[in-house]
Amino acid sequence: MATTKLKINGKEHAVDVDPSTPLLWVLRDHLNLVGTKYGCGVASCGACVVHLEGEAVRSCVTKVSRAAGKEVVTIEGLSENGDHPLQQAWEQVDVPQCGYCQSGQIMSAAVLLREIPNPTDEEIDLAMTGNICRCGTYLRIRKAIHLAAEIQNEIK
Amino acid sequence: MTLVKTTLNRRSFLRAALLAGGGMVLSFSWMAGCKPSGRKALEMPEEWFELNSYIKIGENGVISLSSPNPEFGQNVKTSMPMILAEELDVDWDNVVVEQADFLPDRFKNQFTGGSQAIRSNWTPLRTAGATARQMLILAAAKQWNVPASEITTEPGMLLHRASGKKAGYGEFASVAAQIPIPEEVELKKVTDFSIIGTSKKNVDIKNIVNGNPLFTMDYKVDGMLTAMIVHPPAFGLQFKSMDDSEAKTMPGIKSIFTIDTLTGDIDQNFFDTTSFTKLAVVVGNSTWEVMQAKKALKIAWEEEPERVFRRSASWMQGSEIIKATFPPGLESTDDHLAKMAEFTKKPGQILRRDGDPEGAFKKASKIIERTYTAPFLAHNTMEPVNCFAHVTAEKAELYGPLQAPEYINATLSQRLGLPKDKIHIKLARMGGGFGLRAYGHHLIEAAVISQQVKAPVKLVYTREDEMTAGLYRPAYSATYRAALDENNQLIAFHVKGGGIPEMPVAPHRFPAGAIDNYLAEGWSITSNITTGIFRAPRSNFMACAEQSFLDELAAEMGKDPIDFRLELLERAKTAPVGENNDYQADRYAGVLRLARDKSNWNETKQGIHRGVSAYFCHNSYVAEVVDLVMKNGTPKVEKVVAAIDCGIVVNKDAAVNMAEGAIVDGIGNALFGEMPFKDGAPQKNNFPSYRMIRANEAPKEIDVHFVGSETDPTGMGEPPFAPVFAAVANALYKATGTRFYNQPFINGLTTG
Amino acid sequence: MKSKTGQKEIRHSYKLTAALSVLAILMTLMVTISARSESAAFGSKDKEVFADQRKRDSVKSVEAFSKVYSVLISPRCVNCHPAGDVPLQGDDSHLHAMLPQRGKEGKGMLTMKCANCHQSENTRGPHTPPGNPNWHLPPADMKMVFEGKSASELAKQLMDPAQNGHKDMKALIAHADDALVLWGWEPGDGRTLPPLSHKEFKEAWITWLKNGAYAPEK
Repeated sequence: MATTKLKINGKEHAVDVDPSTPLLWVLRDHLNLVGTKYGCGVASCGACVVHLEGEAVRSCVTKVSRAAGKEVVTIEGLSENGDHPLQQAWEQVDVPQCGYCQSGQIMSAAVLLREIPNPTDEEIDLAMTGNICRCGTYLRIRKAIHLAAEIQNEIK
Repeated sequence: MTLVKTTLNRRSFLRAALLAGGGMVLSFSWMAGCKPSGRKALEMPEEWFELNSYIKIGENGVISLSSPNPEFGQNVKTSMPMILAEELDVDWDNVVVEQADFLPDRFKNQFTGGSQAIRSNWTPLRTAGATARQMLILAAAKQWNVPASEITTEPGMLLHRASGKKAGYGEFASVAAQIPIPEEVELKKVTDFSIIGTSKKNVDIKNIVNGNPLFTMDYKVDGMLTAMIVHPPAFGLQFKSMDDSEAKTMPGIKSIFTIDTLTGDIDQNFFDTTSFTKLAVVVGNSTWEVMQAKKALKIAWEEEPERVFRRSASWMQGSEIIKATFPPGLESTDDHLAKMAEFTKKPGQILRRDGDPEGAFKKASKIIERTYTAPFLAHNTMEPVNCFAHVTAEKAELYGPLQAPEYINATLSQRLGLPKDKIHIKLARMGGGFGLRAYGHHLIEAAVISQQVKAPVKLVYTREDEMTAGLYRPAYSATYRAALDENNQLIAFHVKGGGIPEMPVAPHRFPAGAIDNYLAEGWSITSNITTGIFRAPRSNFMACAEQSFLDELAAEMGKDPIDFRLELLERAKTAPVGENNDYQADRYAGVLRLARDKSNWNETKQGIHRGVSAYFCHNSYVAEVVDLVMKNGTPKVEKVVAAIDCGIVVNKDAAVNMAEGAIVDGIGNALFGEMPFKDGAPQKNNFPSYRMIRANEAPKEIDVHFVGSETDPTGMGEPPFAPVFAAVANALYKATGTRFYNQPFINGLTTG
Repeated sequence: MKSKTGQKEIRHSYKLTAALSVLAILMTLMVTISARSESAAFGSKDKEVFADQRKRDSVKSVEAFSKVYSVLISPRCVNCHPAGDVPLQGDDSHLHAMLPQRGKEGKGMLTMKCANCHQSENTRGPHTPPGNPNWHLPPADMKMVFEGKSASELAKQLMDPAQNGHKDMKALIAHADDALVLWGWEPGDGRTLPPLSHKEFKEAWITWLKNGAYAPEK
């Protein structure tokens, strides 16, 4: 088996897997990073979103070979102390119900906020429509993103 | 204050505590994650003292509360402890919450579903909290040598005003734990509540936003293998033979075999519905490797003959065992629709008759008849079906997403040949339930697989496996008829409803009781497509049909839709027709008035099309007004106003979250949800084909108003779901000039 | 599609190209005719012949275009040449689920940049993202819409450098072998192929172009 060198949340890993294994399963089964979730396996639901060189990729269809040598950030590494503005906002707004989709939601929202620090509702919809929430917390997600933008502005 | 008798048995708690202590090693810490958010980390005590099944107090005063019911996003894991904490009288900041295992000796009815958790646990939880408080008071009284009646509490503190003595609960926890359980305790006055009725954050919020292990999918133990199944591609097919020559040589694969899950001689209970009893199984080291091997299996299927089995007549424990069958054949939606249309025309089983409906219809000047249909729906829980099991010759340990542990326990015992007390079920947080997880087939499958490979096993279904594995919301059809006299007055009402495979009509619900001549009939058609409870069973269809019809009827009679309903409710209140009218007209009218008021119902805004609907199910009353706009020919719900009467609201903000979620869910299912069949095969197997509501389709605003009362709390999970379908249909009518009779509504819209 | 060769692009107007083509044809004809007859002279009969030839070429061109058109409006092509700013998806050309947006450069925006999911090759399995190293839509300032265009409209658009990504004849001909265009014939699981093989398409494309790139009537 080939060894793939990965850099996840700032830490180096070498994994012995078939290089066509999706990054999702490498994270979950081999690196014990289970925050990134499996929802559909076909890039349709967004539960598996991670950052690959800062972009929101769907790890269920991303071969681990694509991530070789590149920076990967998962929900576990979004912040040092769980205090990313989005994580703070998510708490303040008390967004989740079952919670299963939420890592993916937050990771997608993080890219949005980086590129549009003060998004409108429309821009939020444009960015977040790729993440399904079966419990229907979309209104709270929108609210939390607005709040995170404020928190982010205050930090700067 | 209320005095209640306690019926808690201390001995069995201690026994059970010892059992629980010897359970599985968790690969992640429950305690660490369950601290209340936003506060500094609580220091865990050296020792816990157990006062009863629900409540442990550390010597340092930290409180550990056990939440008994399984959690799937309805947030009972926060609201149930809130009730305990209220009566115990502690500071919420000082509380950590544990999910209780399935422990039938300790907890009754650890069932999540039917919006019953809070309602049925309201008094038991309050009693448990009050009892523990009383034991602390008795302990202090003993120590301080003062009458217990002179001791009061403030959150976490015992006080004896007269002498000025005071102490934290932690100081007396060890003594309190020895005190015999008092026979009677006082409960707080509702008006004295300081926790219940406020908003507390989800106890798992930090775990969720940090991506900590939380779900069965995240659960691991050393030596655990991953298993996947292959089930027949169609209902009415069964396993014939398999060629695993390619699959078994693939990397990481340990073994491939078939299992029989429920053989004919097991008495099944209501939640044992199993779509396919013989499955191919692949077991290996990792999920991806097993997924690949699964694809390489070459399986031949054959038609399944009629399946005969024994099961409980109803969901009630102890109901009689009857013979049940699944008919053979490969069914298609076209045939289903044709059959339902046939049954709609035939007389059904009479469920209720008031007055002389036949006579009234004969005399009618005008008869309005409309037929409504809705398709099978898949639950589509975000976390796919999965389960952990470790079965040895002596015992079985299971950990999985499960709404109904009591039910599956009995079946597991029969199937595994192990006594019930050797089967330990830990209740995982579920990535969605919606009724699907009340069925325990995944526990049986995981357990049987583990037994076979003699190792701990995590069974995982792919999304495709789950979406095509059955237990769907049934397909339904209902025909409504109304008779109007020459003055356009309503003189008779007739509902005939049926479904595949269950009859959905609740004959004693509104508008029964409000109309002199009333007839309710029902029918059902058997099928081998398995179905199960789905958020607000039967109501999730009947509410749409009924409330759409009432809207059309109101229009026909030249009445405002809310006024029309209120008139009928007034009749039901002042001069009710018949018996067993299964609603309180006052409360029903109350939510309609509140919704009318809060939505400024009579206000018309350019481009905004409004629809109203109200329903009573699962013990709560909800009325909803939907504001819909058309954007480039595509309908979009902009705003919903919901008025809810669920008695006391335990966790205010969480209840609002539930209502929002239920409304979004309802809009999504009404517009898009559909599982069609062709030759027994479900035609959709993943989200690209099974459309789900997404962020851009959710309303901009949902205003939730609670009637606010001191009535004991009733459910919030399902009541706000049922009415929204019709509210959308009624708004769509205003927007397009067309009535929508068949779900999903997207099929009747040319764009979107 | 804009090419980033760094080379200067030569712009021709449609009319100039057409005129040049006609001239080229005429010159070919003249050579042919003079090759046939000992001493050729342009009489009125010859003019008729030229006119006939031109008519036959335009017919041939338009015939070829109807084949081209059938491919361009098939899902594999039209899905990435949508009228709006959201690509189309599937054999029924519905709006791409989750509504990814074109963005300024046609490469998507925010959380749904095309290349996030559409990688350098097709992902295996049904309903997974297809892939190509250059996966994108036409940019916002050169949308090259195929969706909803009649054959006549599309033919004219394709020949107009202001609307076709500044392509000259050479670039147009080369486009038939563009890697992303070729993807249309290897689209991955569950996607139907265009109605013609690539070979047939390329032939029709070049026939259309080289015979005057005439636009059909409708």
